[in-house]
Amino acid sequence: MKQFNISRILIEEGAEHDPLAKKILRRLPNIPIETVGPDELAPSGDIKGMDKESLRLMRFNGEFLKPCPGTRGYICCGYQILNVGTNCPMDCSYCFLQSYINQPSLRIFSNLEDNLTVIGEIIDSSPDRIFRIGTGEFTDSLSLDYITGWTDFLLPFFSRKKNSILELKTKTSSIERIIKSRHRKRIVIAWSLNTPRIIAHQEHKTASLKSRILAAQKCQKAGFVLSFHFDPLIHYPGWGKEYQETLELLERYIDPESVIWISLGSFRYLPDLKWIINRRFPGTSIFNGEFVPGLDGKFRYFKPIRVEMYSKLSQRLKKWHDDLGVYLCMESDDIWRQSLGWSPESSADLCSYLDSRVRNLVPD
Amino acid sequence: MERELLKSKASKVEISDIDLAPGPFSMSFHFNLEPLKASINRFGVLNPPYLLKNSDSRFTVVAGYRRLLAVRELGWTDILCQIAPDTFRPFKALLLNLSDNITHRQLNTIEKAMVLKRLTRFLKREEIIADFMPIIGIRANKQTLELFLGLEELEEAIRASVAMERLSLRVAGLMRSIARDDRLRINDLLTSIKWSFNQQWEATQWIIEIASREGCSIKDVIDGGEITEVLNSQRMNNPQKVRSIVKTLRARRFPTLVETEKLFRKGLSHLSLPLGVKIIPPPFFEGVGYRLEIVFTKGQELKGKLAELSRFSGLEGVTDFWKGKEHR
Repeated sequence: MKQFNISRILIEEGAEHDPLAKKILRRLPNIPIETVGPDELAPSGDIKGMDKESLRLMRFNGEFLKPCPGTRGYICCGYQILNVGTNCPMDCSYCFLQSYINQPSLRIFSNLEDNLTVIGEIIDSSPDRIFRIGTGEFTDSLSLDYITGWTDFLLPFFSRKKNSILELKTKTSSIERIIKSRHRKRIVIAWSLNTPRIIAHQEHKTASLKSRILAAQKCQKAGFVLSFHFDPLIHYPGWGKEYQETLELLERYIDPESVIWISLGSFRYLPDLKWIINRRFPGTSIFNGEFVPGLDGKFRYFKPIRVEMYSKLSQRLKKWHDDLGVYLCMESDDIWRQSLGWSPESSADLCSYLDSRVRNLVPD
Repeated sequence: MERELLKSKASKVEISDIDLAPGPFSMSFHFNLEPLKASINRFGVLNPPYLLKNSDSRFTVVAGYRRLLAVRELGWTDILCQIAPDTFRPFKALLLNLSDNITHRQLNTIEKAMVLKRLTRFLKREEIIADFMPIIGIRANKQTLELFLGLEELEEAIRASVAMERLSLRVAGLMRSIARDDRLRINDLLTSIKWSFNQQWEATQWIIEIASREGCSIKDVIDGGEITEVLNSQRMNNPQKVRSIVKTLRARRFPTLVETEKLFRKGLSHLSLPLGVKIIPPPFFEGVGYRLEIVFTKGQELKGKLAELSRFSGLEGVTDFWKGKEHR
């Protein structure tokens, strides 16, 4: 299991009494601890580096379970985000959190366990609805699990919730804890995948493609349902061949039958993010593609380029297996039709499509 | 602060005893001394400069840097100055000079950057943003502060272009991410003919990104045949040259988009739409809604054009002329 360097713990006043904070402190016995106020940035906080070696334990006062904000003008999947913390110890150049949250340090919400009851009530109050929930939007679901032990309590909790699934999305191969767990039901382990070139140049400190796929294979053999996310797809010279090779590797190790879905999404960014990325990763080639302003103000690859990328990947995926639950993340009806040959037409219908996959593929 | 100032002493100081390199309190850049020299020649120095005595008995200029340069050029050997007390702290000296400057003149962009940079010796960035950026007329936020602080890294020629408002501040900020020779080359291009700041911004981004996309140098992009040809053209005036360079760069930076626009125009041209009728695609072809624009003077004319359009064959295939094209 890869362990990341944590050089100090910042603990916000009030968080020190939470059981999760206590467990984390026990797991990191020799790391210096500083007590800080709620809005106080740590002294000498390394803003440019996002201060990724500081673990900040804090109470979260917002809603732990919130719908993914989606984006206007495009079809969204109706995902629910479980806020366990923000930022992650890896450093993908394209990460939207650099501008979306723009707060340094690895932030762990120490009062998560206390709020599980509330989350459970929300889920139980709509028994006919399927809650597709993930922890991998604002952090990596597994990279800090060896410190936080998130999966120790999230797996048993969601395994019992019949109308929900928990998707743990990662770019690591840190699966030891989940493999040891006896809970499989309603847990989906997801990998964000990209070509080896993109992983090497843009996804700093993440696991290699092969490690991720081998970890996925182990999870599959251990009885977990899997999903994969090709997001962000990056357009660069040779992309077609290299994404093809990435899919070939996936096909070699993974049984498609228990893959619940595979999402495709292309690199998109708000204008502010470009400034931040250029500053944090000078000379990056990530903006070399042909980006134009989208309907939601984000820059995206020019439409024919997106269509070509989605078409090629989805055709190849279809050859592998014709029921992989391939869907597009934040794309228009028009792009869906041109790329995949069909469209859910609306966010509500995409939700229904993905919910039906949960009903069919996730064992009761 | 005023109490401390009252304790300053008037004294005649040899010009040769004063450090006349821009010191820690100076905020003057790219100025014309001639009017000041002419005034001093006629009326003398109306307000004496303020100096601080150093440990080596020489003097650092607190306020009056330009006056001192002017009198030196006029051949004076000494001047009456106010000498601040030894207890006068550097931060107060900086505030004194800032106050002296902003009450009687507009600081140029580089001078504002000098003020901010000097303040970082004494204050946290948050304090500078809240208390000083508004005073010198800059939008108070972290990003803008970083932009200004980075200006001092740039070469004098580029800073001079910014000070004279011939080069956009935003472009200067972008130039920090590229090598010295490359930014000087871009500075030459952007100041040799008149560009709008928006055109400068687009062109600079595109030049940098073209070099990255094509694996060539920025110099190669600028000195490549097309741009040089435009710059040397005798037929084009300056605005035409700028438009032509922007167009060239855009086609190189966005080949698929520009090709699609061409295909769209070509597709429409085959239709021979009635005069005054235009079909306008969504911006960047991102949306799905195309617009029809009909120019008419009277209702009767509109009716005629609508009737003509309704009989028009070929409208069915208007939109996606680009579909089926592969892009590399």
